[in-house]
Amino acid sequence: MRIIETFRIFRGISVGSGFEPAGAFSGGASPGLQRGKTPRGSAAAARKGWPHGTCAVFLLFSVGLPAQWIGYPTADVPRTKDGKPDLTAPAPRDAEGHPDLSGMWEQDRRGAPPPVANAQPRAALQPGRGQFWDIGTGIEGGLPYQPWARELMQKRRADNSKDNPDVRCLPLGILQTHTHNFLRKYTQVPGEIVSLFERDSEYRQIFTDGRPLPADPQPTYGGYSSGKWDGDTLVVQTNGLKDGLWADYNGSPLTDAAKITERFRRPDFGHMQIEVTVDDPKAYTKPWTATIRLAISLNTELLEYICVENEKDATHMVGK
Amino acid sequence: MLLRMSLIPAVLLALGVPVGAQWVNLKTAGIPRTPDGKANLTAPAPRAADGHPDLSGLWEPNANKYLRDIAVDMKPGEVPMQPWAEAVYNDRKTGARAGEESDANCLPQGVPKIDAAPAPFKIFQTSSQLAILQEAFNLWRQIFLDGRKLAKDPTPTWLGYSVGHWDGDTLVVDTTGFNGKTWLDQVGHPATEALHVTEQFHRRDFGHIDLAITIDDPKAYTKPWTVKEELHLLPDSELIEFICNENNRDVPHLPGH
Repeated sequence: MRIIETFRIFRGISVGSGFEPAGAFSGGASPGLQRGKTPRGSAAAARKGWPHGTCAVFLLFSVGLPAQWIGYPTADVPRTKDGKPDLTAPAPRDAEGHPDLSGMWEQDRRGAPPPVANAQPRAALQPGRGQFWDIGTGIEGGLPYQPWARELMQKRRADNSKDNPDVRCLPLGILQTHTHNFLRKYTQVPGEIVSLFERDSEYRQIFTDGRPLPADPQPTYGGYSSGKWDGDTLVVQTNGLKDGLWADYNGSPLTDAAKITERFRRPDFGHMQIEVTVDDPKAYTKPWTATIRLAISLNTELLEYICVENEKDATHMVGK
Repeated sequence: MLLRMSLIPAVLLALGVPVGAQWVNLKTAGIPRTPDGKANLTAPAPRAADGHPDLSGLWEPNANKYLRDIAVDMKPGEVPMQPWAEAVYNDRKTGARAGEESDANCLPQGVPKIDAAPAPFKIFQTSSQLAILQEAFNLWRQIFLDGRKLAKDPTPTWLGYSVGHWDGDTLVVDTTGFNGKTWLDQVGHPATEALHVTEQFHRRDFGHIDLAITIDDPKAYTKPWTVKEELHLLPDSELIEFICNENNRDVPHLPGH
């Protein structure tokens, strides 16, 4: 985790000023926001309760970072009369008339549901990031765990999530990707939507060419995803997941019985909503649905992030 | 790494059963076919809406020999190495440093070695960029076609920063901003952070891309030098998830680690 926030700090610094309204972060008293130069990164760090000195160290090393493309203007952005991005303009459409989901997306912290009582304490300190820790945040009563699944989640949480695939530089899977703080870039082409994810340069393919889900495929971290349009909603089904994946950072389990249905909607230019329904009868007593809210991220670009490069965290992670 | 990479296809073939259940046998849409249903790989290259050749598709390098030695088609002594680079190369080519190679450690192969990865890669072309999904190491690469300039002094990376422009029907891709940690091939031709790679992609027909790669790294080589590789389309197939870091047991067994 520390690697992630460190990286995000670098991005935040390199973006420079005028990138994102401070109101995007409900953390409020973040030292990074007060500096006005480090919107995304240091805000995230402050919400995690990092000592201020940590931010200062990265500021010292920030020379040279602006040379990348993360200030490069995004093309084809609708504008209001005063020239600002019009985030509530209509969503673009592809040649076939479907909504075009293409774009760079980040967590929409203004739209995420508030933390609920069963979220762990640290989530309460991070407004808008509850789903990352507990994807059941916002679901009344939380996730409907089978007893063994609840026990496993609680053990993993007590162990500081030290065996999360994220800690081991393994793929995050669909759900942890959706709630993750890093950027993801969707490109919609005929027959397919590609997602490039900043974390560990992972990618995902969602086919829209009508192919059926494979029967008994080789299990994978990413699964096999095929979608079709239902009006302006792209309904994506996924199977073929490996056993033992994590649905959130706490460690809510997924089994090889899991089937995931995602409903992607782009209601306007600046926003995306993904309703994710997980049907995994081995781990949960009934299907459950989490709603992910993403916001368009303008004038920025994906950075290279290679998790396993000089990775020193995993051996220092401790549990009970 | 050579061992592992070359073993993977054999293992998959031997275990063949589960692979068939995936999307690797699905007919790829948009491929011209002969009357018997086979892909017509010598049909004309497709064009994008903007009139440029469309490089989109699933491609496989004809390139295991270039993965091994990018200069395999050159005569001995033709690679214009600086003396220090030649000393490094001579040390590496004995195999004594195999454990230092990036991909043995599940780190990116870098450009241009990734063009010779034995695993296929899938190109998505839009008017403003190419996205390349690499099966090897589960990585993406972006090549911007929107006219932006290469950044000066960017944060060094494994895959660099790539921009492309069209020269007639050839896409010319310039990449800089490397971290100097990759080898150009498995025998160990070195590269430094001064590396500037130019790749020229020419889709000569539906099923083939001619790829010319120019290495300009004045710290390691006395002058730029160019090699030619080839890619072929892989019809009716698909990328398979490749997670190098899952249960990787190779490194401790490789010399030089």
